[in-house]
Amino acid sequence: MLAHGDLLDLAASLSADSPFSPSATHRILRYGAPLGCRISHHHTLSRCMDQLRDRIRATDRPAPATGKVVWADRLTASQGRFHRHWFAPEGGLHMAFLWADTLLPEWGRFLPFAVGIACCETLCAFGAGACLKWVNDILVQGRKIGGVLTETIIGVPGERYFLVGIGININVVEFPEELRSRATSLRLETGQPHGVTKIFAHLLARLQWNIGLLGYSEEQWLAGRIRFEENPVLLRWRELADSPGKKVMFGYDVQKAPLYRGTVLNIDRQGGLILCLEDGSKITEYAGEIEYLDAPDAQA
Amino acid sequence: MSTDTIHFDEILSKYRSDPYEYVDMRAVHAGEIRFLVEEGAEVQGVSGEWQHIPGSPIYEITRERNPKVITSKTNGTVSFINRELDGKFVEAGTRLVTIRHPLKKKEIIEAILQEVLYLFPAPERARYFFSMDIQSRIDQKGARSIVIQPGDEIITMSLMKRDTPVFYDGEPGILHSIYFSPGDSIDQGVPLLGVCPEEKLSVVQKIITRVKAEWE
Repeated sequence: MLAHGDLLDLAASLSADSPFSPSATHRILRYGAPLGCRISHHHTLSRCMDQLRDRIRATDRPAPATGKVVWADRLTASQGRFHRHWFAPEGGLHMAFLWADTLLPEWGRFLPFAVGIACCETLCAFGAGACLKWVNDILVQGRKIGGVLTETIIGVPGERYFLVGIGININVVEFPEELRSRATSLRLETGQPHGVTKIFAHLLARLQWNIGLLGYSEEQWLAGRIRFEENPVLLRWRELADSPGKKVMFGYDVQKAPLYRGTVLNIDRQGGLILCLEDGSKITEYAGEIEYLDAPDAQA
Repeated sequence: MSTDTIHFDEILSKYRSDPYEYVDMRAVHAGEIRFLVEEGAEVQGVSGEWQHIPGSPIYEITRERNPKVITSKTNGTVSFINRELDGKFVEAGTRLVTIRHPLKKKEIIEAILQEVLYLFPAPERARYFFSMDIQSRIDQKGARSIVIQPGDEIITMSLMKRDTPVFYDGEPGILHSIYFSPGDSIDQGVPLLGVCPEEKLSVVQKIITRVKAEWE
Protein backbone atom coordinates (compact mmCIF):
# COMPACT_ATOMS: atom_id res chain seq x y z
CA MET A 1 0.00 0.00 0.00
CA LEU A 2 1.16 3.53 -0.72
CA ALA A 3 2.31 5.65 2.19
CA HIS A 4 1.22 9.28 2.19
CA GLY A 5 4.81 10.37 2.84
CA ASP A 6 5.95 8.58 -0.31
CA LEU A 7 3.28 10.39 -2.30
CA LEU A 8 4.42 13.75 -0.96
CA ASP A 9 8.01 12.89 -1.94
CA LEU A 10 6.88 11.83 -5.40
CA ALA A 11 4.87 15.03 -5.89
CA ALA A 12 7.89 17.07 -4.81
CA SER A 13 10.20 15.24 -7.22
CA LEU A 14 7.75 15.64 -10.13
CA SER A 15 7.59 19.38 -9.44
CA ALA A 16 11.36 19.77 -9.65
CA ASP A 17 11.13 21.29 -13.13
CA SER A 18 8.09 23.46 -12.40
CA PRO A 19 8.23 27.05 -13.67
CA PHE A 20 7.36 28.36 -10.20
CA SER A 21 9.77 29.67 -7.58
CA PRO A 22 10.77 27.29 -4.75
CA SER A 23 8.51 29.09 -2.28
CA ALA A 24 5.56 29.02 -4.70
CA THR A 25 6.22 25.34 -5.43
CA HIS A 26 6.21 24.67 -1.71
CA ARG A 27 2.85 26.42 -1.30
CA ILE A 28 1.32 24.57 -4.26
CA LEU A 29 2.42 21.24 -2.80
CA ARG A 30 1.03 22.23 0.59
CA TYR A 31 -2.36 23.04 -0.91
CA GLY A 32 -2.48 19.65 -2.63
CA ALA A 33 -0.90 17.61 0.15
CA PRO A 34 -4.10 16.17 1.71
CA LEU A 35 -4.83 14.18 -1.44
CA GLY A 36 -4.14 10.51 -0.72
CA CYS A 37 -3.88 11.00 3.05
CA ARG A 38 -6.21 8.00 3.38
CA ILE A 39 -6.31 5.31 0.71
CA SER A 40 -8.77 2.47 0.84
CA HIS A 41 -7.94 -0.31 -1.62
CA HIS A 42 -10.41 -3.01 -2.74
CA HIS A 43 -10.19 -5.85 -5.19
CA THR A 44 -13.80 -5.50 -6.37
CA LEU A 45 -16.37 -2.79 -5.79
CA SER A 46 -19.59 -1.82 -7.49
CA ARG A 47 -18.50 1.82 -7.71
CA CYS A 48 -15.75 3.75 -5.92
CA MET A 49 -17.87 6.91 -5.82
CA ASP A 50 -20.68 5.10 -4.02
CA GLN A 51 -18.28 4.11 -1.25
CA LEU A 52 -17.36 7.72 -0.64
CA ARG A 53 -20.93 8.97 -1.05
CA ASP A 54 -22.10 6.54 1.63
CA ARG A 55 -19.21 7.54 3.83
CA ILE A 56 -20.09 11.24 3.58
CA ARG A 57 -23.70 10.59 4.40
CA ALA A 58 -23.01 8.26 7.31
CA THR A 59 -24.50 9.90 10.40
CA ASP A 60 -22.73 7.69 12.91
CA ARG A 61 -19.19 8.61 11.93
CA PRO A 62 -17.17 11.83 11.90
CA ALA A 63 -16.83 13.71 8.62
CA PRO A 64 -14.31 12.05 6.28
CA ALA A 65 -10.91 13.60 5.68
CA THR A 66 -10.46 15.72 2.59
CA GLY A 67 -8.24 13.86 0.14
CA LYS A 68 -9.56 10.42 1.06
CA VAL A 69 -9.18 7.99 -1.87
CA VAL A 70 -11.01 4.78 -2.71
CA TRP A 71 -9.24 2.59 -5.26
CA ALA A 72 -10.44 -0.69 -6.77
CA ASP A 73 -8.93 -3.25 -9.14
CA ARG A 74 -12.26 -3.76 -10.86
CA LEU A 75 -15.77 -2.35 -10.71
CA THR A 76 -18.98 -4.25 -11.32
CA ALA A 77 -21.44 -1.38 -11.78
CA SER A 78 -19.34 1.49 -12.96
CA GLN A 79 -21.05 4.41 -14.64
CA GLY A 80 -20.12 7.51 -16.52
CA ARG A 81 -22.32 10.56 -16.95
CA PHE A 82 -26.04 10.01 -17.49
CA HIS A 83 -25.69 6.47 -16.14
CA ARG A 84 -23.73 5.40 -19.18
CA HIS A 85 -21.96 2.10 -18.67
CA TRP A 86 -18.22 2.41 -18.00
CA PHE A 87 -16.13 -0.68 -18.76
CA ALA A 88 -14.00 -1.20 -15.64
CA PRO A 89 -12.28 -4.60 -15.63
CA GLU A 90 -9.10 -5.63 -13.86
CA GLY A 91 -6.14 -3.94 -15.50
CA GLY A 92 -7.77 -0.52 -15.35
CA LEU A 93 -7.25 2.23 -12.81
CA HIS A 94 -10.51 2.93 -11.00
CA MET A 95 -10.56 5.44 -8.19
CA ALA A 96 -12.51 8.20 -6.52
CA PHE A 97 -11.57 10.89 -4.04
CA LEU A 98 -13.12 13.52 -1.83
CA TRP A 99 -12.02 17.12 -1.68
CA ALA A 100 -13.58 19.62 0.70
CA ASP A 101 -15.00 22.52 -1.30
CA THR A 102 -12.96 25.39 0.10
CA LEU A 103 -12.55 27.19 -3.22
CA LEU A 104 -14.48 30.27 -4.27
CA PRO A 105 -17.10 29.39 -6.92
CA GLU A 106 -15.15 31.08 -9.70
CA TRP A 107 -12.14 28.87 -8.89
CA GLY A 108 -14.01 25.71 -7.92
CA ARG A 109 -15.31 25.50 -11.47
CA PHE A 110 -11.74 24.67 -12.57
CA LEU A 111 -11.43 21.58 -10.40
CA PRO A 112 -12.69 19.30 -13.22
CA PHE A 113 -10.02 20.87 -15.44
CA ALA A 114 -7.27 20.27 -12.85
CA VAL A 115 -8.26 16.61 -12.53
CA GLY A 116 -8.25 16.15 -16.30
CA ILE A 117 -4.80 17.74 -16.53
CA ALA A 118 -3.43 15.38 -13.86
CA CYS A 119 -4.78 12.35 -15.74
CA CYS A 120 -3.44 13.58 -19.07
CA GLU A 121 0.01 14.42 -17.65
CA THR A 122 0.23 10.99 -16.02
CA LEU A 123 -0.54 9.18 -19.27
CA CYS A 124 1.92 11.34 -21.18
CA ALA A 125 4.61 10.56 -18.59
CA PHE A 126 4.11 6.85 -19.33
CA GLY A 127 4.37 7.23 -23.06
CA ALA A 128 0.81 7.80 -24.32
CA GLY A 129 0.33 10.90 -26.44
CA ALA A 130 -2.79 11.88 -24.55
CA CYS A 131 -4.74 15.09 -24.88
CA LEU A 132 -7.84 16.64 -23.35
CA LYS A 133 -11.26 17.13 -24.85
CA TRP A 134 -13.40 19.79 -23.14
CA VAL A 135 -13.92 19.50 -20.22
CA ASN A 136 -11.83 16.55 -19.09
CA ASP A 137 -12.13 13.53 -21.34
CA ILE A 138 -8.72 12.02 -21.98
CA LEU A 139 -8.11 10.87 -25.55
CA VAL A 140 -5.33 9.35 -27.60
CA GLN A 141 -5.73 9.84 -31.35
CA GLY A 142 -9.44 10.46 -30.81
CA ARG A 143 -9.95 7.28 -28.78
CA LYS A 144 -10.96 7.56 -25.16
CA ILE A 145 -8.40 6.30 -22.68
CA GLY A 146 -9.80 7.85 -19.51
CA GLY A 147 -12.69 9.79 -18.07
CA VAL A 148 -13.60 11.88 -15.05
CA LEU A 149 -16.90 12.29 -13.24
CA THR A 150 -17.34 15.16 -10.77
CA GLU A 151 -20.18 15.93 -8.39
CA THR A 152 -20.71 18.25 -5.48
CA ILE A 153 -22.06 16.44 -2.46
CA ILE A 154 -23.26 17.78 0.85
CA GLY A 155 -22.18 16.01 4.03
CA VAL A 156 -24.33 15.60 7.10
CA PRO A 157 -22.98 18.68 8.91
CA GLY A 158 -23.64 20.66 5.70
CA GLU A 159 -20.05 20.60 4.50
CA ARG A 160 -19.64 20.60 0.74
CA TYR A 161 -17.27 18.20 -0.95
CA PHE A 162 -16.19 17.59 -4.49
CA LEU A 163 -16.61 13.90 -5.22
CA VAL A 164 -14.41 12.93 -8.15
CA GLY A 165 -14.34 9.58 -9.94
CA ILE A 166 -11.57 8.66 -12.37
CA GLY A 167 -11.29 5.70 -14.72
CA ILE A 168 -8.22 5.07 -16.89
CA ASN A 169 -7.63 2.13 -19.18
CA ILE A 170 -4.13 0.93 -18.31
CA ASN A 171 -3.61 -2.72 -19.29
CA VAL A 172 -7.01 -3.41 -20.83
CA VAL A 173 -6.56 -5.02 -24.23
CA GLU A 174 -10.04 -6.35 -24.97
CA PHE A 175 -12.99 -3.98 -25.10
CA PRO A 176 -16.64 -4.83 -25.69
CA GLU A 177 -17.61 -4.76 -29.35
CA GLU A 178 -19.43 -1.41 -29.10
CA LEU A 179 -16.31 0.29 -27.68
CA ARG A 180 -13.63 -1.43 -29.72
CA SER A 181 -13.22 1.28 -32.34
CA ARG A 182 -13.54 4.16 -29.89
CA ALA A 183 -11.55 3.13 -26.79
CA THR A 184 -7.91 2.49 -26.18
CA SER A 185 -5.55 1.78 -23.29
CA LEU A 186 -2.05 2.68 -22.22
CA ARG A 187 -0.90 -0.83 -23.04
CA LEU A 188 -2.39 -0.70 -26.53
CA GLU A 189 -0.79 2.68 -27.15
CA THR A 190 2.69 1.84 -25.81
CA GLY A 191 2.82 -1.86 -26.71
CA GLN A 192 3.78 -2.92 -23.18
CA PRO A 193 2.11 -3.63 -19.83
CA HIS A 194 2.38 -1.13 -17.00
CA GLY A 195 2.25 -1.40 -13.23
CA VAL A 196 -1.12 -0.03 -12.18
CA THR A 197 0.10 0.81 -8.67
CA LYS A 198 2.98 2.85 -10.05
CA ILE A 199 0.64 4.80 -12.33
CA PHE A 200 -1.84 5.25 -9.49
CA ALA A 201 0.92 6.80 -7.35
CA HIS A 202 1.94 9.11 -10.19
CA LEU A 203 -1.67 10.14 -10.74
CA LEU A 204 -2.12 11.00 -7.05
CA ALA A 205 1.08 13.05 -7.13
CA ARG A 206 -0.12 14.91 -10.24
CA LEU A 207 -3.51 15.47 -8.62
CA GLN A 208 -1.76 16.90 -5.58
CA TRP A 209 0.13 19.29 -7.82
CA ASN A 210 -2.72 20.41 -10.05
CA ILE A 211 -5.34 20.77 -7.31
CA GLY A 212 -2.70 22.50 -5.21
CA LEU A 213 -2.04 24.81 -8.15
CA LEU A 214 -5.72 25.73 -8.17
CA GLY A 215 -5.62 26.68 -4.49
CA TYR A 216 -2.41 28.63 -4.99
CA SER A 217 -3.82 30.44 -8.04
CA GLU A 218 -6.89 31.51 -6.08
CA GLU A 219 -4.60 32.80 -3.33
CA GLN A 220 -2.51 34.77 -5.82
CA TRP A 221 -5.60 36.20 -7.49
CA LEU A 222 -7.09 37.28 -4.18
CA ALA A 223 -3.79 38.97 -3.34
CA GLY A 224 -3.90 40.80 -6.68
CA ARG A 225 -0.72 39.14 -7.96
CA ILE A 226 -2.30 37.52 -11.02
CA ARG A 227 -5.26 38.40 -13.21
CA PHE A 228 -8.09 35.92 -13.58
CA GLU A 229 -7.12 35.18 -17.18
CA GLU A 230 -3.60 34.26 -16.01
CA ASN A 231 -5.00 31.22 -14.20
CA PRO A 232 -2.15 28.68 -14.55
CA VAL A 233 -4.58 25.74 -14.53
CA LEU A 234 -6.40 27.11 -17.54
CA LEU A 235 -3.15 27.90 -19.32
CA ARG A 236 -1.92 24.33 -18.73
CA TRP A 237 -5.27 22.93 -19.89
CA ARG A 238 -4.95 24.87 -23.14
CA GLU A 239 -1.51 23.32 -23.70
CA LEU A 240 -2.92 19.81 -23.36
CA ALA A 241 -6.26 20.23 -25.12
CA ASP A 242 -6.93 19.36 -28.74
CA SER A 243 -10.49 20.77 -28.83
CA PRO A 244 -9.77 24.18 -30.47
CA GLY A 245 -10.27 23.93 -34.22
CA LYS A 246 -12.30 20.72 -34.02
CA LYS A 247 -15.71 20.35 -35.67
CA VAL A 248 -18.03 19.10 -32.95
CA MET A 249 -21.56 18.18 -32.02
CA PHE A 250 -22.64 19.88 -28.80
CA GLY A 251 -25.30 18.77 -26.34
CA TYR A 252 -25.93 18.55 -22.66
CA ASP A 253 -26.20 14.78 -23.16
CA VAL A 254 -24.69 14.73 -26.61
CA GLN A 255 -25.29 11.02 -27.19
CA LYS A 256 -29.01 11.09 -26.45
CA ALA A 257 -29.88 14.67 -27.31
CA PRO A 258 -27.37 16.40 -29.59
CA LEU A 259 -28.21 20.07 -29.96
CA TYR A 260 -26.09 21.61 -32.69
CA ARG A 261 -22.87 21.45 -34.71
CA GLY A 262 -20.08 23.95 -34.55
CA THR A 263 -16.35 24.52 -34.55
CA VAL A 264 -14.48 25.03 -31.31
CA LEU A 265 -12.78 28.42 -31.36
CA ASN A 266 -11.27 28.59 -27.91
CA ILE A 267 -11.88 28.35 -24.20
CA ASP A 268 -12.78 31.56 -22.43
CA ARG A 269 -11.22 32.73 -19.18
CA GLN A 270 -13.97 31.05 -17.17
CA GLY A 271 -13.40 27.74 -18.92
CA GLY A 272 -16.41 28.15 -21.22
CA LEU A 273 -16.32 26.55 -24.64
CA ILE A 274 -16.53 29.16 -27.42
CA LEU A 275 -18.13 27.68 -30.51
CA CYS A 276 -18.69 29.04 -33.98
CA LEU A 277 -21.98 27.71 -35.33
CA GLU A 278 -22.62 26.84 -38.93
CA ASP A 279 -24.37 30.19 -39.53
CA GLY A 280 -21.22 32.02 -38.39
CA SER A 281 -22.58 33.12 -35.02
CA LYS A 282 -20.75 32.41 -31.78
CA ILE A 283 -21.94 30.86 -28.55
CA THR A 284 -20.20 30.08 -25.26
CA GLU A 285 -21.24 27.03 -23.27
CA TYR A 286 -20.45 26.35 -19.62
CA ALA A 287 -22.12 22.97 -19.24
CA GLY A 288 -22.56 20.07 -21.58
CA GLU A 289 -20.27 17.95 -23.70
CA ILE A 290 -18.94 17.66 -27.21
CA GLU A 291 -18.27 14.86 -29.63
CA TYR A 292 -15.66 15.32 -32.29
CA LEU A 293 -17.20 14.85 -35.71
CA ASP A 294 -13.94 13.81 -37.31
CA ALA A 295 -12.88 11.15 -34.81
CA PRO A 296 -14.43 8.31 -32.84
CA ASP A 297 -15.63 9.09 -29.33
CA ALA A 298 -15.68 6.35 -26.77
CA GLN A 299 -17.33 5.52 -23.52
CA ALA A 300 -18.29 8.64 -21.60
CA MET B 1 -46.55 42.71 -1.09
CA SER B 2 -49.33 41.36 1.14
CA THR B 3 -52.81 40.34 0.04
CA ASP B 4 -54.25 43.50 1.53
CA THR B 5 -51.96 45.82 -0.34
CA ILE B 6 -52.61 44.51 -3.84
CA HIS B 7 -54.79 47.04 -5.61
CA PHE B 8 -55.64 45.54 -8.95
CA ASP B 9 -57.06 48.67 -10.53
CA GLU B 10 -54.01 50.69 -9.56
CA ILE B 11 -51.60 48.10 -10.90
CA LEU B 12 -53.52 47.58 -14.12
CA SER B 13 -53.93 51.27 -14.77
CA LYS B 14 -50.20 51.70 -14.28
CA TYR B 15 -49.52 49.17 -17.02
CA ARG B 16 -52.33 50.57 -19.20
CA SER B 17 -50.92 54.09 -19.10
CA ASP B 18 -47.34 52.95 -19.63
CA PRO B 19 -47.15 49.39 -20.97
CA TYR B 20 -43.37 49.38 -21.18
CA GLU B 21 -40.40 48.13 -19.27
CA TYR B 22 -37.46 50.53 -19.10
CA VAL B 23 -34.23 48.56 -19.37
CA ASP B 24 -31.10 50.43 -18.33
CA MET B 25 -27.81 49.50 -19.97
CA ARG B 26 -24.80 50.32 -17.82
CA ALA B 27 -21.06 50.25 -18.44
CA VAL B 28 -19.99 46.61 -18.11
CA HIS B 29 -16.63 47.78 -16.82
CA ALA B 30 -14.62 50.98 -16.70
CA GLY B 31 -13.54 52.30 -20.09
CA GLU B 32 -13.99 54.86 -22.85
CA ILE B 33 -17.47 54.91 -24.36
CA ARG B 34 -18.60 55.39 -27.94
CA PHE B 35 -22.33 55.18 -28.63
CA LEU B 36 -23.48 53.21 -31.66
CA VAL B 37 -27.17 54.21 -31.67
CA GLU B 38 -29.26 57.36 -31.64
CA GLU B 39 -32.15 58.22 -29.35
CA GLY B 40 -35.40 56.92 -30.84
CA ALA B 41 -33.72 54.07 -32.71
CA GLU B 42 -35.45 50.70 -32.79
CA VAL B 43 -33.20 47.94 -31.46
CA GLN B 44 -33.42 44.17 -31.41
CA GLY B 45 -32.66 41.78 -28.57
CA VAL B 46 -30.89 38.44 -28.67
CA SER B 47 -32.44 35.85 -30.94
CA GLY B 48 -31.84 32.50 -32.59
CA GLU B 49 -32.73 28.97 -31.57
CA TRP B 50 -30.00 28.95 -28.93
CA GLN B 51 -30.33 32.66 -28.09
CA HIS B 52 -26.93 32.93 -29.74
CA ILE B 53 -27.49 35.78 -32.20
CA PRO B 54 -26.54 39.04 -30.45
CA GLY B 55 -28.92 41.99 -30.38
CA SER B 56 -28.31 45.41 -31.90
CA PRO B 57 -24.95 47.05 -31.06
CA ILE B 58 -25.56 49.78 -28.48
CA TYR B 59 -22.16 51.06 -27.43
CA GLU B 60 -18.48 50.28 -27.68
CA ILE B 61 -16.32 50.34 -24.57
CA THR B 62 -12.53 50.45 -24.83
CA ARG B 63 -10.11 49.56 -22.05
CA GLU B 64 -6.39 49.00 -22.48
CA ARG B 65 -6.90 49.37 -26.26
CA ASN B 66 -9.34 46.43 -26.26
CA PRO B 67 -12.62 47.61 -27.78
CA LYS B 68 -15.75 45.62 -26.90
CA VAL B 69 -19.14 46.08 -28.54
CA ILE B 70 -22.06 45.72 -26.13
CA THR B 71 -25.37 44.66 -27.64
CA SER B 72 -28.97 44.93 -26.56
CA LYS B 73 -30.52 42.03 -24.66
CA THR B 74 -34.05 43.21 -25.38
CA ASN B 75 -36.01 44.72 -28.24
CA GLY B 76 -37.52 48.18 -28.04
CA THR B 77 -36.77 51.84 -28.61
CA VAL B 78 -33.81 53.78 -27.30
CA SER B 79 -35.50 56.24 -24.97
CA PHE B 80 -32.42 57.77 -23.35
CA ILE B 81 -28.75 58.16 -24.15
CA ASN B 82 -26.32 59.78 -21.75
CA ARG B 83 -24.83 61.58 -24.74
CA GLU B 84 -22.47 63.75 -22.73
CA LEU B 85 -20.47 60.61 -21.94
CA ASP B 86 -19.72 59.91 -25.62
CA GLY B 87 -15.96 59.63 -26.02
CA LYS B 88 -15.42 59.87 -22.26
CA PHE B 89 -14.00 57.43 -19.72
CA VAL B 90 -16.69 56.07 -17.40
CA GLU B 91 -16.73 53.89 -14.30
CA ALA B 92 -18.24 50.41 -14.28
CA GLY B 93 -21.99 50.52 -13.70
CA THR B 94 -22.54 54.02 -15.12
CA ARG B 95 -25.98 54.30 -16.73
CA LEU B 96 -25.49 54.84 -20.45
CA VAL B 97 -28.66 53.96 -22.34
CA THR B 98 -32.28 53.12 -21.56
CA ILE B 99 -34.35 50.94 -23.85
CA ARG B 100 -38.12 51.16 -23.74
CA HIS B 101 -39.35 47.63 -24.21
CA PRO B 102 -43.06 47.16 -25.10
CA LEU B 103 -44.65 44.62 -22.76
CA LYS B 104 -46.82 41.80 -24.03
CA LYS B 105 -49.77 40.50 -22.02
CA LYS B 106 -47.71 37.55 -20.77
CA GLU B 107 -44.89 39.84 -19.70
CA ILE B 108 -47.31 42.09 -17.83
CA ILE B 109 -48.66 39.10 -15.94
CA GLU B 110 -45.12 38.02 -15.14
CA ALA B 111 -44.12 41.53 -14.07
CA ILE B 112 -47.04 41.68 -11.65
CA LEU B 113 -46.45 38.15 -10.41
CA GLN B 114 -42.80 38.89 -9.78
CA GLU B 115 -43.89 41.52 -7.27
CA VAL B 116 -45.87 38.88 -5.40
CA LEU B 117 -43.83 35.69 -5.75
CA TYR B 118 -40.56 34.82 -4.06
CA LEU B 119 -38.07 34.54 -6.91
CA PHE B 120 -35.32 31.94 -6.64
CA PRO B 121 -32.37 33.01 -8.80
CA ALA B 122 -29.73 30.96 -10.63
CA PRO B 123 -26.60 30.91 -8.46
CA GLU B 124 -24.26 30.76 -11.46
CA ARG B 125 -24.40 30.76 -15.24
CA ALA B 126 -25.00 27.05 -15.78
CA ARG B 127 -27.52 24.47 -16.96
CA TYR B 128 -30.31 23.59 -14.55
CA PHE B 129 -32.49 20.55 -13.88
CA PHE B 130 -34.99 19.70 -11.22
CA SER B 131 -33.82 17.21 -8.62
CA MET B 132 -35.10 13.72 -9.38
CA ASP B 133 -37.65 13.87 -6.58
CA ILE B 134 -39.09 17.24 -7.63
CA GLN B 135 -39.12 16.27 -11.32
CA SER B 136 -41.04 13.09 -10.61
CA ARG B 137 -43.58 15.03 -8.50
CA ILE B 138 -43.97 17.60 -11.29
CA ASP B 139 -44.49 14.78 -13.81
CA GLN B 140 -47.10 13.10 -11.64
CA LYS B 141 -49.10 15.99 -10.25
CA GLY B 142 -47.90 19.25 -11.78
CA ALA B 143 -45.72 21.97 -10.34
CA ARG B 144 -48.47 23.75 -8.44
CA SER B 145 -49.11 20.70 -6.30
CA ILE B 146 -45.61 20.96 -4.87
CA VAL B 147 -44.92 22.75 -1.63
CA ILE B 148 -41.26 23.51 -1.05
CA GLN B 149 -39.55 24.40 2.19
CA PRO B 150 -36.20 26.03 2.96
CA GLY B 151 -33.50 23.36 2.87
CA ASP B 152 -35.24 21.23 0.21
CA GLU B 153 -32.97 19.99 -2.57
CA ILE B 154 -34.86 21.29 -5.57
CA ILE B 155 -32.46 21.72 -8.45
CA THR B 156 -29.25 20.29 -9.86
CA MET B 157 -26.83 22.80 -11.34
CA SER B 158 -24.52 21.45 -14.02
CA LEU B 159 -21.40 23.49 -14.61
CA MET B 160 -18.21 22.30 -16.30
CA LYS B 161 -19.29 18.66 -16.17
CA ARG B 162 -19.87 18.91 -12.43
CA ASP B 163 -23.31 18.44 -10.95
CA THR B 164 -24.12 20.37 -7.78
CA PRO B 165 -27.32 20.11 -5.75
CA VAL B 166 -29.03 23.45 -5.12
CA PHE B 167 -31.04 23.89 -1.94
CA TYR B 168 -34.03 26.19 -1.64
CA ASP B 169 -33.49 29.02 0.80
CA GLY B 170 -36.56 31.22 0.33
CA GLU B 171 -40.01 31.41 1.87
CA PRO B 172 -42.01 28.18 2.02
CA GLY B 173 -44.71 27.98 -0.60
CA ILE B 174 -46.10 26.47 -3.76
CA LEU B 175 -43.99 26.08 -6.87
CA HIS B 176 -46.03 28.53 -8.91
CA SER B 177 -43.87 29.64 -11.83
CA ILE B 178 -41.00 27.86 -13.55
CA TYR B 179 -38.83 30.15 -15.64
CA PHE B 180 -36.59 27.55 -17.28
CA SER B 181 -36.80 24.28 -19.14
CA PRO B 182 -34.68 21.47 -17.75
CA GLY B 183 -31.28 21.63 -19.43
CA ASP B 184 -31.49 25.33 -20.29
CA SER B 185 -28.40 27.47 -19.90
CA ILE B 186 -29.34 30.27 -17.49
CA ASP B 187 -27.39 33.39 -16.59
CA GLN B 188 -26.44 34.08 -12.98
CA GLY B 189 -29.16 35.93 -11.08
CA VAL B 190 -31.95 35.17 -13.55
CA PRO B 191 -35.01 33.75 -11.73
CA LEU B 192 -35.43 29.99 -11.99
CA LEU B 193 -38.58 29.65 -9.93
CA GLY B 194 -41.36 31.77 -8.51
CA VAL B 195 -42.68 30.46 -5.21
CA CYS B 196 -46.04 31.56 -3.89
CA PRO B 197 -46.86 31.42 -0.18
CA GLU B 198 -50.05 29.37 0.14
CA GLU B 199 -52.06 32.24 1.57
CA LYS B 200 -51.34 34.38 -1.51
CA LEU B 201 -52.28 31.78 -4.09
CA SER B 202 -55.87 32.98 -4.56
CA VAL B 203 -54.65 36.55 -5.07
CA VAL B 204 -52.18 35.41 -7.69
CA GLN B 205 -54.91 33.55 -9.55
CA LYS B 206 -57.07 36.68 -9.51
CA ILE B 207 -54.27 38.74 -11.02
CA ILE B 208 -53.81 36.30 -13.87
CA THR B 209 -57.51 36.03 -14.57
CA ARG B 210 -58.01 39.78 -14.45
CA VAL B 211 -55.12 40.63 -16.78
CA LYS B 212 -56.09 37.91 -19.23
CA ALA B 213 -59.68 39.12 -19.29
CA GLU B 214 -59.05 42.84 -19.46
CA TRP B 215 -55.95 43.18 -21.55
CA GLU B 216 -56.24 43.34 -25.29
